[in-house]
Amino acid sequence: MLRFLTKRLLEIIPILLVVSILIFLFVHMIPGDPARLVAGEDATLEDVELVRKELGLDKPLHEQYINYMANLVKGDLGTSLKTKRPVTEEVFERFMPTFWLTFWSMVWAVVIGLIIGVVSATKRNKWQDYLGMFGAVSGLSLPSFWLGLMLIQLFAVTLGWFPSGGMESWKSYILPSFTLGTGVAAVVARFTRSSLMDVLKEDYIRTGRSKGLSEGKVVWGHGLRNAMIPVVTMTGLQFGFLLGGSVVIETVFSWPGLGKLLIDSVAYRDYPVIQAEMLIFALEFILINLIVDLLYGVLNPQIRYE
Amino acid sequence: MVELKLSKKEEYMKLTAEQITSRTPFSEFWRKFKKQKLAFISFFFVVFLILLAAIGPYVAPYDISEPDYDSVLLGPSAEHWAGTDAYGRDIFSRIVAGTQISLFVGLSSVLLGAIGGTVFGLLAGYYGKWVDRIIMRICDVLLAFPGILLAIGIIAILGPGLGNVVIAVAIFSIPVFARIVRSSTLAVKSTLYVEATKSIGAKPSRIIWKHIFPGTVSSIIVYFTMRIGSAILTAASLSFLGLGAQPPTPEWGAMLSGGRDYLNIAPHVTLFPGLAIFITVLAFNLLGDGLRDALDPKIKD
Amino acid sequence: MKKARNILFLLALSLVLVIAGCSSGGGDNSDGEKKESEKASKSGKDIVIAVADNFTTMDPHDTNDTLSNSAQKTMLEGLVGFDKDMNVIPVLAEEYAASEDAKEFTFKLKENVKFHDGTPFNAEAVKVNFDRLADPNSGLKRHSLFSLIQEIEVLGEYEVKFVLSEPFGAMINTFAHPSAMIHSPKALEEHGKEVARNPVGTGPFKFVEWKPSEGLEIVKNEDYWKEGFPKVDKITFKPVSENGSRIAMLQTGEADFIYPVPTEQADSINGKNGIEVESNSSIIVRYLAMNLLKAPYDDIKVRQAINHAINKEAFIKVVMNDHGNVLDSVIAPDVQFYSKQDPYAFDVEKAKALLKEAGYENGFKAKLWGANHSSAIKAMEFLQQQLAQIDVEVEVVPMESGTLSDKIWSVQDAKDAEIELYYGGWSPSTGDADWGIRPLLGGHEAFPPFSYNISYYENTKVNELISAALATADLDARGKAYEEVQSLVWEDAPWAFLSTDNTMAGKKNYLKGIYLLPDGSLSVSDIEIE
Repeated sequence: MLRFLTKRLLEIIPILLVVSILIFLFVHMIPGDPARLVAGEDATLEDVELVRKELGLDKPLHEQYINYMANLVKGDLGTSLKTKRPVTEEVFERFMPTFWLTFWSMVWAVVIGLIIGVVSATKRNKWQDYLGMFGAVSGLSLPSFWLGLMLIQLFAVTLGWFPSGGMESWKSYILPSFTLGTGVAAVVARFTRSSLMDVLKEDYIRTGRSKGLSEGKVVWGHGLRNAMIPVVTMTGLQFGFLLGGSVVIETVFSWPGLGKLLIDSVAYRDYPVIQAEMLIFALEFILINLIVDLLYGVLNPQIRYE
Repeated sequence: MVELKLSKKEEYMKLTAEQITSRTPFSEFWRKFKKQKLAFISFFFVVFLILLAAIGPYVAPYDISEPDYDSVLLGPSAEHWAGTDAYGRDIFSRIVAGTQISLFVGLSSVLLGAIGGTVFGLLAGYYGKWVDRIIMRICDVLLAFPGILLAIGIIAILGPGLGNVVIAVAIFSIPVFARIVRSSTLAVKSTLYVEATKSIGAKPSRIIWKHIFPGTVSSIIVYFTMRIGSAILTAASLSFLGLGAQPPTPEWGAMLSGGRDYLNIAPHVTLFPGLAIFITVLAFNLLGDGLRDALDPKIKD
Repeated sequence: MKKARNILFLLALSLVLVIAGCSSGGGDNSDGEKKESEKASKSGKDIVIAVADNFTTMDPHDTNDTLSNSAQKTMLEGLVGFDKDMNVIPVLAEEYAASEDAKEFTFKLKENVKFHDGTPFNAEAVKVNFDRLADPNSGLKRHSLFSLIQEIEVLGEYEVKFVLSEPFGAMINTFAHPSAMIHSPKALEEHGKEVARNPVGTGPFKFVEWKPSEGLEIVKNEDYWKEGFPKVDKITFKPVSENGSRIAMLQTGEADFIYPVPTEQADSINGKNGIEVESNSSIIVRYLAMNLLKAPYDDIKVRQAINHAINKEAFIKVVMNDHGNVLDSVIAPDVQFYSKQDPYAFDVEKAKALLKEAGYENGFKAKLWGANHSSAIKAMEFLQQQLAQIDVEVEVVPMESGTLSDKIWSVQDAKDAEIELYYGGWSPSTGDADWGIRPLLGGHEAFPPFSYNISYYENTKVNELISAALATADLDARGKAYEEVQSLVWEDAPWAFLSTDNTMAGKKNYLKGIYLLPDGSLSVSDIEIE
């Protein structure tokens, strides 16, 4: 177990190295000249060349990469081409708000999703099941900009219960985390229902029932634990996706997050910021999926990793 | 635990025996499927959608690209069932005609993604070790890869076009399918009957196909049916980047996001395309649930 | 079948919910109508302004977006500036004069003005700032506007003279450009490039804190040189990029002033809940550029046909929601030396006839490039519909910013340029005809990659007139030259001339003295709560 963990953790370093090269090449390969974009539309060629020199983009690519890597090893992610601020500052400023919004959205969404999923599975093809399905499909197919703006219209403008945006108090979390979490809750609910139904008809559950264990005990004790594997997988993935930030939610609720930063930096071809964000996203997914893999073993000790 | 595993093995043997003696698998499937009323209705709705996709552009009551600047943003009425858009075009006609493109992009991209993801997931889960590590780390990177960059890259390399949208959306779906299928594979693999088959010396391809894949199907169906809606919406966001269908092509997702600026003054512009996506996703989910139950040999009725 | 009925019931239920959700907004509006005349009230003297994007920097010398300029203008000031109609007015200068040959510019400065850090404002401070701007090694984005400055002479404590290396008639307007605002020399010395985060100026407000993704906070400058101003204690700027959310903030009172207000929703919020929408003409022009080096656009008849085929009134109604005006020259009325032309009338028959004369009786196929934000796509789709009337089959190609700029500017030889039609907009931020015409239509010197002449328009007469207008500071002579330029360009029709935008701002009706200039920048120095 410990050996497995160390091995997986050590693996991260070479992976990130490879990823950094790929990302570097990819962002430099796509069309778009940051000097031109940063200098602006009404810049003359003279301005553009000045900016290019100032940003160090006039140097050959391999030199730029060596510089980038040398700084990266020292923990320096470079300077944003657009704002000329340190990338670490730019990213960190938005990482924590993104993290907390993701965290609270996940908490409620997973709880609600599990409850809906369990109820739907145990009341298969009854009205509870259909209500659950209906809710889940709504959660999946409602575009978040629509849901977000509707919630603002109702709870901020009409009722005045919550602020329409910003990040001032706990109240600011309610509307964005609800909007962000609906999709997750839907996914969790659907997967819980499906895998719980798979498990509920297995023998040992039937055995449990025949032994006279109460329905509740059977579901919560045996069924859910075994049904959790696909649910945990999906939850991990959703967690990773949300940690990448959501442009729509961040735009609608004026939330300082990584999603909008990414879109903005792509629009300006702000290479250092794009690279930093992609490295963070890759690291997030590697760590989350490592945790998910470990959870498989906890949930089902028969799953082993060689 | 030992007891459980044994009982499972017996169950497994019993089932295989049962299947052999039963009627043909298809008639059995059909018999079970017909019993699920809602899934059955959904099935016909999906058939209807596919039909609409084929004939939609010909049966739409109004011209879908002809503007009428004197009747912009009209609410629903007897004349325009779903109202008109910012150029005065009939929204209902555009939804009908847009079925083709939205359904095509939604279904084909998810299908491609599901096939790719399932293959990778089965391989990773079954073989484990370095195969698993490599495939899964590639998935991690793909998951972390921002969609907008991928789209820009695809436009730069392959150029714009609907086929490339399908590829882009499929690439987004592959790692998710791969991880889901892998997780189910791990769970199925750990059960005794697979171990037993292995020790008998069956070929890996046979074990994967006959014994492991069926155990992953229910998760695949669930994600497949859920993914269709988001694929339609993703395709629309890609056309905003210059990849995919361009105006005046009616596309549900694009019509929906085009109404964003009119949400306060003309909510019907977003509402109706939204409803079209909602009902489609609902139908596919109900159908998926029905298929899942009908395919499951353990569910009797 | 019971299950099916259940589902149907749920469907109906959700529909009701959705419709209730939509109409809750509407219901609120009708409430507002009743109290239309009511004045919104405000306690305290702290103002919140919601803007559409993050500010990029607080250093005007290194800024190329009007939004950041707006923030800087609250704290920093220039020698001269613009009034409500883009006329040049003195700010930190008492008076100014230009030599006949447009090579020497002398400014008399206001006395007893102090920067926020206590440093006195004087000729030396002016010199330090413009030396910085004129230095090509500074790497500042606005260097090129001031690269002609050869020498700055301090004539006295409050008098300074600029000497240019060659005549430049539009220089006074350049001094009024926001990039010519003045930092405290002490701050420049202490912070160097970090003035971008530590702005110290002479303006009505002092810098407190700026977090790019959350907002900017500024407070009243108690020692402001203009007696009795400013009249509010504190202003907070917040970036809110979603149109609907910005409006919601104004409705809930979380913001006192927002801009821009989306044209789609302007009329539905105006006059309700104590909200006033101010829609005024701007200097932003919208046009459809045609590549003159490419057939069929090399034929003037085709270009005129396209001009006649587009219904500009409908463009303003459908695309601008009636918040705009028909463009009747290459520059907008508020730009210096504007001269009105006779618009190309909307006449499909005439357009068809012109096309026939040019040999394109059956129309042709065209690609229309443009940005990928929703308003640009909307305009392009409209143009597609209009040109379909004369059988020109337009393919709309919206592009993401980087791809688009690569396509436009990576052109090495003008003849190889791929561009056919391009939907664009331009705001000449110096408010002078020169910057409204030369970068866009100034002959081969402005061809990409040098500048923005994506029509590849070249008319020797126009080039000569532009040069002549720059060689003098005599306003009459300049005016005459630009008058002729405008009529020549209008005849040549390198663009289909479409419209000018309106500046769109929304405010609570207790606010006074805050307004958008025609260049889209914000003025808050006279802000007041009633």
